[in-house]
Amino acid sequence: MKAPPAPSAPDAVRIPACRPRSRRARWTLAWKAAAVAALLLFTLFPTYWMISSAFDGRATGGAQSLFPAEPTLENFSYVLSEAGFGTFLRNSAIVAVSTVVLSGILALFAAVAVARFRFRFRTGILMLILIIQMVPLEALVIPLFIQVRDLQLLNSFLGLIIVYVAFSLPFAIWMLRGFVAAVPVELEEAAYIDGASWGRMFWSVLLPLVAPGLVATSVFAFIIAWNEFIFALTFMDSPATYTVAVGLQQFFGENSNEWGYVMAGSTLITLPVMIFFILVQRRLSGGLVSGAVKG
Amino acid sequence: MTTPTKAGAARPAPRAATGPTPPQRRGPGRLRLSTARPWLLLAPALAVLAVLLLWPLARVLLISFQDYGLREIVSGRSNYIGFANYAEVFADPALWTVVLPNTVGFAVAAVGGTVILGTLVALLLASLDRVWRTIVSSAVMVAWAMPAVTGTYVWIWIFDADRGIVNQFLQGVGLLDEPHNWFTDRWSFYAVVLVNIIHHGFPFVAITVLAGLLGVSKEMLEAATVDGAGAVRRFFSITFPTLRPVFAVVVILSTIWDFKVFAQIYLQPGGSGSNRSVFNLGVWSYVESFAQNRYGFGSAIAVLLTVLLLAISVVYVRTLFKEEK
Repeated sequence: MKAPPAPSAPDAVRIPACRPRSRRARWTLAWKAAAVAALLLFTLFPTYWMISSAFDGRATGGAQSLFPAEPTLENFSYVLSEAGFGTFLRNSAIVAVSTVVLSGILALFAAVAVARFRFRFRTGILMLILIIQMVPLEALVIPLFIQVRDLQLLNSFLGLIIVYVAFSLPFAIWMLRGFVAAVPVELEEAAYIDGASWGRMFWSVLLPLVAPGLVATSVFAFIIAWNEFIFALTFMDSPATYTVAVGLQQFFGENSNEWGYVMAGSTLITLPVMIFFILVQRRLSGGLVSGAVKG
Repeated sequence: MTTPTKAGAARPAPRAATGPTPPQRRGPGRLRLSTARPWLLLAPALAVLAVLLLWPLARVLLISFQDYGLREIVSGRSNYIGFANYAEVFADPALWTVVLPNTVGFAVAAVGGTVILGTLVALLLASLDRVWRTIVSSAVMVAWAMPAVTGTYVWIWIFDADRGIVNQFLQGVGLLDEPHNWFTDRWSFYAVVLVNIIHHGFPFVAITVLAGLLGVSKEMLEAATVDGAGAVRRFFSITFPTLRPVFAVVVILSTIWDFKVFAQIYLQPGGSGSNRSVFNLGVWSYVESFAQNRYGFGSAIAVLLTVLLLAISVVYVRTLFKEEK
C-alpha cells in the first residue's frame, strides 16, 4: 500500500480513518467489484462479439473462438463490394440526413410556438403531441403502406423520409421545447429593444442559443431513421433502395447463415450510431428528463 | 425531474397573454400577427402529424371494419363488413392461448427485468467513485447505442443452433450433448428475446434513475443510517418514495415499448411467420397483412394493440400532469 500523498491537512486526517476496513466493508467492496465485472461483461459482450466475429475469417465457415482465429478484413471487403452494402449505407445516409434536416426545421418552429407563446389550445396541443408519441407506429404500417403506395412512393426514399419525419417530430418537439424554454426571455426582449423584428430575433438570438438542443434532437432523428426496420422492410422491395437495416437480411441464406458477413455489416451499421450516441448522450438523457416534466 | 419548475406553466393561459412579443402591438394588423404567429409556426409540424399519424390512425380503424385484400388495395374501393374482423380475432383461440399471453407475459417479464436491473445498476453507479462510474456508465451507453436490428442479429448469432457460442460453451462444459436449437421452443425463443430487450432497455432506466438518485436528500439518508436502517430499508423508505414519479415514467414507457416489440421477434428464426406459437400482437398483425394479404384482419389486430397502448398512455399522461400540480 502506498502512503496517501496528503495534499492538505483535512485529507491527511481523513484517509487513515478509512484505512482499517472492517470485514463488512471489505465484503461490500468485493461484492461491488463482482457486480461491476458482471455488468461490464453483460453490456459489452454482444458488441465485442459482433466486432470480433466481423474480423474473424472463420466466423462464416468453421468454428469460432473467443478471439478472432484468423484476423482479416475479408468480411468487410466482401460485404462492401460484392454484397452491395455500400449502396445500403448510402441509401440510409440519404434517408437519415434528409429526415434530420426536415424534422429539425419543423420541430424547432413548433417548439418555439409551444414554449414561447401562450395561446388557446396550447395545452391541448401539448397533450396531443405527448399522446401521439405513444401511438404504436407498428400499428400504422398498414394504412401508411396503402397511403404511400397510392402516392406511388413505394421504393422511393421520399416515402420513407416523410414517414420518418413524422415519427421523429413528436419527441423532437417535446425535447426542443425544454431547450427553447431554457433561453432567458430577457435576451429576446433585449433584441426587441434594439429594434429587431421577430424574425431577426429568431435567427440572431434564439437559433444560436438553441443550437445545442438542435444537435441533440438531430442525432435522435438520425438514429430513428438509421435504425428503423419495419417500414423500410415494407416499403422497399428492391436491393437498390434497401436501407442498412433491411439489407442485412440478405445474408441469411436458405440453409446457412453467413455470420461473418452479417457481423461485418452489423459493425458498419452500429459504429456511426454509437459515435453519435456517445457524443450526445448527456444531453439526450438530460433533455429526456427535463423535457418530460417542464410545463 | 422531481421538482416542477414553473408553477402553473401547464395551465391554459388566460386569453392571448403572449409571452415576449415585439413591443409594437398597436394596430389591429400587429395584434393579429402576434396571435397568428404560434399557429404559423405550428402549422407545418401539425400538418405532417395530421397526414402521417392522425389520418393513418383513423384509417387503420376504417380498414379494420372491411374485408380489405389485394383487390381493394389495387382498386381503392371499400368493402365494409362490420365487426366481422373483430369477431374473428376474438374467436380465434390463438389470440387467447398464444398471442395475448406472449404479448402481455413478455411485457411483464421484460418491464420487470429492465426496471429491476436498471435500478440496481443505477444504485451501483451512484455508489462508485468517479473513475469507475465513468467506465461503467460508458459501457452502459454502448449497450444502449446498439441498434435494435443489429443487436438482435448479434443475440441470434450468440444463440445460433449450429455454431453459437452458447451452444459451444454448454457442450464444452458438458451440459449439452448436442447443439440445442433455442428458437424452436416458444419459451426459449422468448428467453432470447428477453435477454435482448433487457440488454437494450435497461440503460434508459439506469440513466434516468441515476439522475433521480442525485436528487435524493443525503441528510435524510445519513439520518436513517444513524438510526440504524440498513441499505434495503433505506431504499424502500426514502429513495423509492422520493423517486416514485421517476419510476412511474420509467415503468410506463418501458411497458409501452415492450408491448409492441417487433423487430426483435420478427428477425429471430421462425419469427417472421413460420412459427405461429411465437406471435405477439404486432407480429401477428404484420404477418396476416403482408404475408396473407388480409389487411382488414391485420388492421383489427393493430387496433387492438393501439387501444391497449393508448390506455397505458393515458395513465402515463395523467401521472405526468398530476406531478406538475
